[in-house]
Amino acid sequence: MSAKRVRLLIWKEFTQLRRDPLLIRLLLLMPVLQLIMFGYVVAVDVRNLSTAVVDLDQTVASRQLQAAFSGSGYFTITRTPASEADLQPLLDSGTIKVALVIPQGTQDRLGRGETAPIGIIVDGSDSQISAIGSGYASQIIAQFNTDRRTSSGAQLDAPGIDARVRVMFNPTLDPINTMIPGLIAAIMMISLMVIMSQAVVKERESGTLEQMFVTPIKATEYLIGKLTPYAALATAQMALVALGGLYWFKVPFNGSFWVVLVGLLLFMFTCLGLGLLISLVSRTRHQAQQAVMFLMIPTMVLSGFIFPIQSMPPAIQPLTNLIPLTFALEVLRGAFVKGSGFEALAVPMLALAGFGVVIFGASIIATRRRIAE
Amino acid sequence: MSSWADTVSSAPPPATTASDRGAISARGLRRTFGDTVAVDTLDLDVPTGAVFGLLGPDGAGKSTLIRMLATVLVPTAGEASVFGHSVTTERDAVTPRIGYMSQRFSMYPDLSVAENLEFFATIRGVGRADRRTRSQALLASMGLDEFTRRQAQHLSGGMKQKLMLATTLMHEPDLLLLDEPTTGVDPVSRREFWRILAGLHRAGKTVLVATPYMDEAERCTHIAFLDGGRIKQSGTPESIKALVPGRLLEVSATDPRAALAVVRTLPGVASVHLLGDVVRVLWEAPSEPVGPLTSALVAAGLHGVGVREISPDMETVFAFLAEADAPPGAGSEVAS
Repeated sequence: MSAKRVRLLIWKEFTQLRRDPLLIRLLLLMPVLQLIMFGYVVAVDVRNLSTAVVDLDQTVASRQLQAAFSGSGYFTITRTPASEADLQPLLDSGTIKVALVIPQGTQDRLGRGETAPIGIIVDGSDSQISAIGSGYASQIIAQFNTDRRTSSGAQLDAPGIDARVRVMFNPTLDPINTMIPGLIAAIMMISLMVIMSQAVVKERESGTLEQMFVTPIKATEYLIGKLTPYAALATAQMALVALGGLYWFKVPFNGSFWVVLVGLLLFMFTCLGLGLLISLVSRTRHQAQQAVMFLMIPTMVLSGFIFPIQSMPPAIQPLTNLIPLTFALEVLRGAFVKGSGFEALAVPMLALAGFGVVIFGASIIATRRRIAE
Repeated sequence: MSSWADTVSSAPPPATTASDRGAISARGLRRTFGDTVAVDTLDLDVPTGAVFGLLGPDGAGKSTLIRMLATVLVPTAGEASVFGHSVTTERDAVTPRIGYMSQRFSMYPDLSVAENLEFFATIRGVGRADRRTRSQALLASMGLDEFTRRQAQHLSGGMKQKLMLATTLMHEPDLLLLDEPTTGVDPVSRREFWRILAGLHRAGKTVLVATPYMDEAERCTHIAFLDGGRIKQSGTPESIKALVPGRLLEVSATDPRAALAVVRTLPGVASVHLLGDVVRVLWEAPSEPVGPLTSALVAAGLHGVGVREISPDMETVFAFLAEADAPPGAGSEVAS
């Protein structure tokens, strides 16, 4: 191992990268673009939903309930029609997205310790609004019930308001809070696969790989010299996404930095190995690109990056275990959102280590064989 | 596989040193790609200090042979050594002493001339001071010193070849393995390239150069003609020329095809072929050929008849040798 030769190779890779202005721009633009896309477009949060309230009760309790809705920030009460019949045109025209109907006698029922049903109508034409809106609504009502019981000294299991929405939702689990950690892992995978897959095949195409064989360079030196620049580049991209997520999108980070670092490092070996393997088996750069595309589509769809694994058909779900990104997402989301440590994330960590050893190991063996050939 | 190399290196016969065995020694060297035999059980000896021309058509196995000697390709069978070191088991002893120039342009296209030189020299462990003096000297002698900052991809064909040669020379190798260095290069650059090779020869370097151009064989000290993965002929250019029996004549006439038909019937003529608008004749009879040929052609009613004896060039020699190799009558139209 000669550190001088490795340094020289790294210098050469960076010089070549610098001479490829399009590539370097794409590599820097990609994380920014993805942040904007996934941050603003895909993971849009539902806030300030225009809401109409039909208060047929007109009591203290009904006004408290209204206040709870408008104070949450998710609902803005824009209309207060006198009857339920007036809601239909408002919903039809899209003037309101949510309607809250508090029937007459709600306070009396609550006072008697009975269940008080209220109605929540959500505009179902936008599935995201309906799901998130009804989720928030039920959360607010649950909170309202708890507050009322504690202030009145009633038993905790005493009946309260019963909202006719049953969707569970955790308002602290803003979709962007799971999207950004996932994006960090996805960006590393995309970037490393795209560049690494070109790395060796480019040298084969230019004939410099053969020239390299006549020099005293060792396979290990060659590999380190090839992998280091791109690993550094991918790290920079990830840092960009992470900083953008933490400071611009204000994604809370509850976990340990080390958990994230170890998880990403393990995943990086898998990505480097996959890219290298593609580069070794491909004859041309074009072939390498197609191979990357071929791997990328099932990875994005099956890993749970965009579509939740729980909502996939049961027959498909086991397949997600074959995708390394699945486990990287588990580690990153676990660490960011739930603050999980190494113990809680042992299974995905081990899975990532396993993928890393097998895939990276195979790529090293393949490189050595290719170079010895 | 390594038994042959082991025998020589562990128990060298007395008075046999590495240099005595020459720069290159190959025994039973063979390489196949699937069902295709590229190099077929071939023996080769290249003496130290030779300019050894490897001639032959495309697909003859020249590149495969050179790549095996350059340690880039592992032989399927047989053994080869460079300066006494096996190309398979002692690669680390071989590579510092060789400079390999592949047939394809194999520099980094997006690095400049100076950067390519610097990169490959540094990776071969050439010190900073040597790198500076050698690159200056090499680039100046090749007329590349104006283009040091130009990216390799923007060089002309001839300049690309010279850059590759310069890169190959930076670590001062004793043996140069050049795979068709002048293919696709304009005639002026070709001549200049050979001028540089002649200089290296005077400096005592051994050069193995593959070329499809027969005229380049004249500039070599030794040549071997490769076809179908085997060496068909080898020796000095003079000894190869001497393989052609008899004398070579060039016959011109206003109708060369008619002249060819006449000459073919004459006794003493070993072979005839058309080369452009002249007829090349190999005269095997001991008698003086010019007089009888001229009179026969004039008697046949041909006009503008001229017959003169020429010294055979390599192209003609190989054409005749190939014809002698081929079934009778098959090569009478050999022309280039």
